[in-house]
Amino acid sequence: MASNPMEQFTVHRIGPEIKIAGIDLSFTNASLFMVISASIILLFLFFGSKEKKIIPNKIQLIAEIFYNFVAKMISDTAGSKAKPYFPFIFSLFMFVLFCNMVGMLPYSFTVTSHIIVTLIMALFIFVAVTIIGFLKHGFKYLKIFVPSGVPAILLPLITIIEIISYLSRPVSLSVRLFANMMAGHTMLKVFGGFVVSLGILGGWLPLGFSVALTGLEILVAFLQAYVFAILTCIYLNDALNLHH
Amino acid sequence: MRSLFSLSIALTAMSTNLYAAEAGMPQLDPTYWASQAFWLILVFLILYIAISKFYLPKIKDNLDNRENKIKEDLEYANKFKEQSEAKAKEYDIILKNAKKEVSKIHFESKNILDKDIQSKKEIMEKDIEKEILKAKKEISELKKNSMTSIQSISESIVSDIIENISGNKLNESSIKATVEDISKKNINKYL
Repeated sequence: MASNPMEQFTVHRIGPEIKIAGIDLSFTNASLFMVISASIILLFLFFGSKEKKIIPNKIQLIAEIFYNFVAKMISDTAGSKAKPYFPFIFSLFMFVLFCNMVGMLPYSFTVTSHIIVTLIMALFIFVAVTIIGFLKHGFKYLKIFVPSGVPAILLPLITIIEIISYLSRPVSLSVRLFANMMAGHTMLKVFGGFVVSLGILGGWLPLGFSVALTGLEILVAFLQAYVFAILTCIYLNDALNLHH
Repeated sequence: MRSLFSLSIALTAMSTNLYAAEAGMPQLDPTYWASQAFWLILVFLILYIAISKFYLPKIKDNLDNRENKIKEDLEYANKFKEQSEAKAKEYDIILKNAKKEVSKIHFESKNILDKDIQSKKEIMEKDIEKEILKAKKEISELKKNSMTSIQSISESIVSDIIENISGNKLNESSIKATVEDISKKNINKYL
């Protein structure tokens, strides 16, 4: 069991089976860790915004740093028009970040290492951004596929490439997060397995690797949450401010 | 590049063993996909509502409060600074006026004193001159008196000497004339 590095990604049911209209919606370990991550976020924000001090205490300061971080990210990439979407992007960033970070704890489950989870988020963003684009610009939004300043001969080719790149957005967005998280955790598991199998004599080298990889994975966990959020901002920017 | 690479890996993995997930990736086992989707949407919806309705407004309020407080405090500080600068200017003006007044008073009092001293000096000089005149008069009077007394004394001395030497008394008038004559000749030597 310990030898299979993919074992950690299996989903199993916790508690009773819930079936609605023939679809299995049971509470699983994935659901449990979603709830745990969301609860940690809510608890953190609760204590971070409980006392309204002029000079903040530590937890309030951290909450405010997160707020300013996301606010700056949105205003830098998507401008002031993106302000109504700030709560969504903040929630998205916090959720992905905390799911990644909770996944770094031993014996925990990484929600974002499942393609279905990241794909649903990415598809939702894709559909929402497309709807926002059409609502704001009407059919002029299709101009996003026709960049200005391109020679007329190249225009059909460029347009096809633009359409493909636009349609591949949800796939690239979801696979990037999913693959990064899965690969990192698999590596950690593999090196952990080496530590056990090589024993007390030869296990020190993979143990060192494991420690280094853990640090790297914490960085990746933050970075992928940031990338996920900032790409959402960039897509939103395309929809809100039509540049082409 | 990295994303394209991972995309191709994932796509091949999906196409090759989509329904044989036990062999490879549990992620591709569709048994709990619906459950994960359902719970993800539910949890994220709750999280989103809680964050957007409760927490973000609170944090924003707090940040705005702090910014306003800082702005107000800065305004206060600027106001106080201006006030203190105005007061310092006032103080400077008062100081300058006071200095002017002091020099004026100094000048005036000096003038008054000078005048006073001048007038007193004049009076004193007049007094001194009077005194000097008086003294001169006294001296000249004394001189005259001394002349006559010297003559009479020298006359008596002469008559005594002559009497002692010759035993005769000389005529007083002739003695007088001689003494007068000699003393007149030599008076300038002594007086």
